[in-house]
Amino acid sequence: MDKSISIIKFKDVSIGYGNKIIHSNINVEIEQNDFIGLVGPNGSGKTTFLKTLLGNIKPISGVIEKKDIVFGYVPQRDTVQPLLPYTVHDVVMMGRYSLMGLFKNPSKTDEQKVDESLEKVGISDLRKLNYNSLSGGQRQRTLIARALAVDPSVLILDEPTNGMDTPSHYSLLKLISDLHNQSQLTILLVSHLLSDVANLVKKLMLFESGKFKSGSIEEMLSEKNLAQTYSADIEVKKVNGEYHITSRHSE
Amino acid sequence: METIKILFELFPYAILGSIAAGFICSFLGVFVVSQRVVFLGAALTQAAIAGVAFSFLHLLNLEELIATVFGVQSIDNSFLHHFEHTFFSLLFAVIAVIIFSQSNRQKFLTTDSLLGIIFVVAIALRIIFIQKSPIAEVAEIESILKGDILFIGSQEFFTLLIILIIIFLIFTLFNKQLKFVTFDADTAAAHGINERLWLLIFYLTVGVGISLTTRFVGDVFTFAFLILPASTALMLAKKVSGVFFYSVIIGALIPPIAIYIAFVYDISSGPTAVVASFMVFLVVFAFKKLNK
Repeated sequence: MDKSISIIKFKDVSIGYGNKIIHSNINVEIEQNDFIGLVGPNGSGKTTFLKTLLGNIKPISGVIEKKDIVFGYVPQRDTVQPLLPYTVHDVVMMGRYSLMGLFKNPSKTDEQKVDESLEKVGISDLRKLNYNSLSGGQRQRTLIARALAVDPSVLILDEPTNGMDTPSHYSLLKLISDLHNQSQLTILLVSHLLSDVANLVKKLMLFESGKFKSGSIEEMLSEKNLAQTYSADIEVKKVNGEYHITSRHSE
Repeated sequence: METIKILFELFPYAILGSIAAGFICSFLGVFVVSQRVVFLGAALTQAAIAGVAFSFLHLLNLEELIATVFGVQSIDNSFLHHFEHTFFSLLFAVIAVIIFSQSNRQKFLTTDSLLGIIFVVAIALRIIFIQKSPIAEVAEIESILKGDILFIGSQEFFTLLIILIIIFLIFTLFNKQLKFVTFDADTAAAHGINERLWLLIFYLTVGVGISLTTRFVGDVFTFAFLILPASTALMLAKKVSGVFFYSVIIGALIPPIAIYIAFVYDISSGPTAVVASFMVFLVVFAFKKLNK
């Protein structure tokens, strides 16, 4: 029987900016090969949680234990809009920069990793194209390839399907799912839509105005739990093994 | 040819210095324009001028202090004479850069609001400093503050050349880090790159470059050459290296041509360089529009 290996532990962690606490007493463990959805509306603290996990901001209190974790981070696509005509190859190569020496140029290994990453996300043929000329889905795949180029132990994706058309949306979710299944990659997927991640991930972290809850998908998707978290009457149905989450409207 | 020969005899360092200043501005301009912080150029040029204005108050006699420490005569030493202006110009620009680089740590002000505040406060301080200066000739101070390409002498030229080499070295040696943090600072930080440090190095380099070129060639020339060559190059180039190439070619070639035109038609060389750069921008813009 597989024994789960904990790779990240939040111990009584409070997160926020300055003295303003957004979530307090977070106690959660992330295990190897986890596939976790971070769900909550805009401004509910998902990004603050991620930035604290990545070490970009310090926790207000508590301890985060991380054991030799290499993070691959995929930011929200809209935050990366370069005016300079970087090619897809240029952008993905940036993922290797943190692993190179200060004055070193990309080596053959770096080039190989870039090629592998492009292949994993299915955009090898786009490597010479200008990043700005790509569609939303292609840009997102480029940013995922850049995160994969760092050989991450944990891949973090911040709202990857935001603003995408339906085919690109599902194609990208399938890619993320494949990356998890084929590469045994630990994935944290941020979304403001519960329905977006409910049928994809194994665990959920729910963020809602000061409330933080985490657990397995079955625990978290109980109607009672969702009603407590979102203070709303939410209906959860499982049809052909898939969750359908809707809000009950009372007349 | 005769006119060019006369110009080289009369203003050799002005011609070479204008090329160096144009090169510095157009190179840094690629980053400033692509980072969408064009107003940083305007704010820093004004901060640099406020610094020079501050030096006219003579609150700290650095000239005398350095002369004493190094045992040199301050009288007739033109390097020391100009040092104080340059030092405070740099100091004010660096302070402005440090304030600006911390802007992402707070949520009360947007970047452009902060730059706007730096811009207007710098102008206000400059006016106050000039009014309180013991030197009576306000017009004379204003002309020194504004700088002029034709006033570039050997010291100014060699200072610009050193700054040009330093900037070029910094952006060559730390190309990867600076490229990543200016492209996507959040991801660079997530991947273990100290984005605050590298952004500070980036902005300090930009600040020093802008401050010194403002000091020697004026705020209008500096601000224009930060924006126009880079904006023109972005329309022309299909690769990142091409953007830098076109930008520095335009930035370095136009100023000496402008000096020639200004000499022939008896007009100011700085504004001529700005208008010439704008004409190139306009031609490229029209060409791109017609070929769309």
